[in-house]
Amino acid sequence: MQRNRPPSAQTIRVLRALAADPARWRYGYDLATEVRLKSGSLYPILVRLADRGLLDTSWEPGPASRPPRHLYRLTPAGREFAAALTAARADRTVPHPHGRWSEA
Amino acid sequence: MPTRLLRWAACLLSRQRHDWGQAMLGELGRLDGRIRQLRFMLGCLIAVLLLPPWGRAAAGVWAMIAVGSVGLYASVAIRYGLGAGDWVAAAILVVLLAGYLLAASALLRRPGVAIPGLLGGLFVALAWLAMKGFTFYGVIGTIPTMREKLVLVIGVPLAVGAAGTLRSRDPVIGRRVARLAAISAGLGLYFYATLAVAVLGAGGPPADTGWTVRNIISDRLGTNLVDLLLTTLVTATVGWAGAAAAARLRPSSPAPALPGPVIPAASPDPRHEA
Repeated sequence: MQRNRPPSAQTIRVLRALAADPARWRYGYDLATEVRLKSGSLYPILVRLADRGLLDTSWEPGPASRPPRHLYRLTPAGREFAAALTAARADRTVPHPHGRWSEA
Repeated sequence: MPTRLLRWAACLLSRQRHDWGQAMLGELGRLDGRIRQLRFMLGCLIAVLLLPPWGRAAAGVWAMIAVGSVGLYASVAIRYGLGAGDWVAAAILVVLLAGYLLAASALLRRPGVAIPGLLGGLFVALAWLAMKGFTFYGVIGTIPTMREKLVLVIGVPLAVGAAGTLRSRDPVIGRRVARLAAISAGLGLYFYATLAVAVLGAGGPPADTGWTVRNIISDRLGTNLVDLLLTTLVTATVGWAGAAAAARLRPSSPAPALPGPVIPAASPDPRHEA
């Protein structure tokens, strides 16, 4: 069953951190440290954002002995949504995104 | 060790989520300090087990059954004023159920295992209950006959394991189906048996002479715990054998290899983009 519900407080924190510098690619661990979320909370949020087309991902090749790193930044739709969240917070209402916050 | 554990956990992800497992491994490889790595790995492990589409639903169902069972046990123990030994057994039960939950959640995320395993577990549980007449009395008061033992201990698990292999054409999946069927049947039957004790109390089948109400309740709860262990172990073991035997009847096809991470070729360093 699909559910429409506003994003959680943790999701909003992640969105705001990414929206603060939308052109910059971020590492997962750095993002978790900045928004003070554990990896167990951050990655499901990132997965949901990516599933809904709000998050762009890329890979950074590492040295031969290390695996590549995943990078994240908001898509244009993600930036719009983050901006809408900020505006809605000013109006004290939270908008429902066109995407759905239900399970994939 | 954190890398090895996370690599195992990443294999639990579905094909669509494979990149995220690689992402977690990539971050882990950059962390310094054992404690930091362990914390990160544990968080990722939880994320893997709870990622949709199976994670939350599966974890929720199993957690409800386990918590319900522990709650029933505790309510019976309090109602009848059971002794310290029974509370020690309760602690063992909690650890056991936590292990079962973890194992079931991990198995549920394996491709091709969830539905056959759950259906197999339902089949095993229904077979047991059918042999007992679907009554509380039958579950806690009767000793299985030889025919029942042959059917429930050998026949049904063999059938479940074999069906898992024949359906998937992969004995590895068949064995996982057998294990998941064993865990889900064990959890369901334990809950039912504990409910039977809660409802019947010391009533139902007559006990040995000289036994108090406490003795009877304690004995029944203990028997349920032993049955949980035995049912799960036997079903998983015999089901495993059934899965392996079925593989000999039908050649298996190897499971498709998971794709590696998508790494853009010759892409510029994204951190230097305007």
